Amino acid sequence: MSLADKIETYRRHVSEWLRGLYHGMISHPAYELIEKEAEDVEDEFMLACFPDVFGVPSPISYYTAELLPYLTDEFEAWERRMWDRESLIERKGQQYHF
Amino acid sequence: MKKFVFFGGKGGVGKTTVSSAYGLKSANAGLKTLVVSTDPAHSTSDVFDQQFGDEPAPVDGHDNLWAMEIDPEQEVENHLMEIKRAMGDQVSPGMVNAIDRQIEMSHQTPGAHESALFDRFVDVMQNSEEYDRVVFDTSPTGGTLRLLSLPEFLEGWIERLLHKRKRSIDLYEKAAIGGREPRRMAEGDPIIARLQERKEMFEFAGEVLRTESAYFLVLNPDELSIRETSRAVEELTEYDLAVSGLVINKVTPEPDADESGRGAKYLRDRCRTERERIEHIRDAFEEPVVAVIESRVEEVKGSLLADVAKGLDVAVETTPKSAG
Repeated sequence: MSLADKIETYRRHVSEWLRGLYHGMISHPAYELIEKEAEDVEDEFMLACFPDVFGVPSPISYYTAELLPYLTDEFEAWERRMWDRESLIERKGQQYHF
Repeated sequence: MKKFVFFGGKGGVGKTTVSSAYGLKSANAGLKTLVVSTDPAHSTSDVFDQQFGDEPAPVDGHDNLWAMEIDPEQEVENHLMEIKRAMGDQVSPGMVNAIDRQIEMSHQTPGAHESALFDRFVDVMQNSEEYDRVVFDTSPTGGTLRLLSLPEFLEGWIERLLHKRKRSIDLYEKAAIGGREPRRMAEGDPIIARLQERKEMFEFAGEVLRTESAYFLVLNPDELSIRETSRAVEELTEYDLAVSGLVINKVTPEPDADESGRGAKYLRDRCRTERERIEHIRDAFEEPVVAVIESRVEEVKGSLLADVAKGLDVAVETTPKSAG
């Protein structure tokens, strides 16, 4: 293996590490944070659409039922999340990696 | 005169009779007229002695006159089936069950009937080009008022849902840093499209109810229906819907002067109190009294209906489209 090749491999490693480091420390938490926020807003949306899931009668659930065929996955995930969620702090706490 | 004419009032005051009579009057004046009953306890069929269904059907023996009775039960069922069909297209059978429960539930809520009725109602208004006049025989006051207030209320609600959905999608798109595929995209989102569609429907309904509709309240000369009418006027005004006039129905006929039996005395007494109440109605309400209809011995139908129609001082003009 020539010196040039060695340097090349070394550089590749370093750049991969750097990318990984950047991804892990900056970009991943960043989009994770935004995505979590998006999920939260989506939860609010789902709650506004289907409050009757939790026993709150909704005058509009007749209309929002029309959305269900397109929301199947979200609906199930949301229902699970809502029943599981213990507190807001617990949910927000997930965003930090200690 | 506006294209859509609503007759409302307390239960049992004779809304069906008055609206059928008005429908007949419009039809006789050469306007293509549709009488729509939105009262779950339909009685249009009884007035015309002919069974009507959920689609407009011509009324036997009268030119230019059509009638229909909206059946909310059937509407709810249709809506349910439609959603299930969409579900069959979209979702794998394994997922369907959990969602099914929710869909069934939403069709059993107290509001479902109302929403179904409202939908059908808007549908009739949207597809009414061929008629010059559409007369709505509504359910007793409370139900109708709720129905008429729906557009404004639902519009606001849908608006908030739309806003939330857009915001979450926006965030998902922002989260897609560095060329990642966002989890959801605004473009082609079926939810946004659906909500938008609904919002437009409510806007249309609100607009038509405010600008192209006339409201008449039917009442009897008795305390209860006078009070209910004044409350109804107030509420309608609150929703920006102006009442064009009052129809006083079931007024006791006066006995001939030479009659003096017990029956005649009773009638005379009754007439006196009713006269007072009618005076009171004329004074207390800003809305004009457009007709005072005496009660009849027989059920009002057939030729009697035409009689009543003549007594209605409700304008029918506007040039018939079909003639122009």
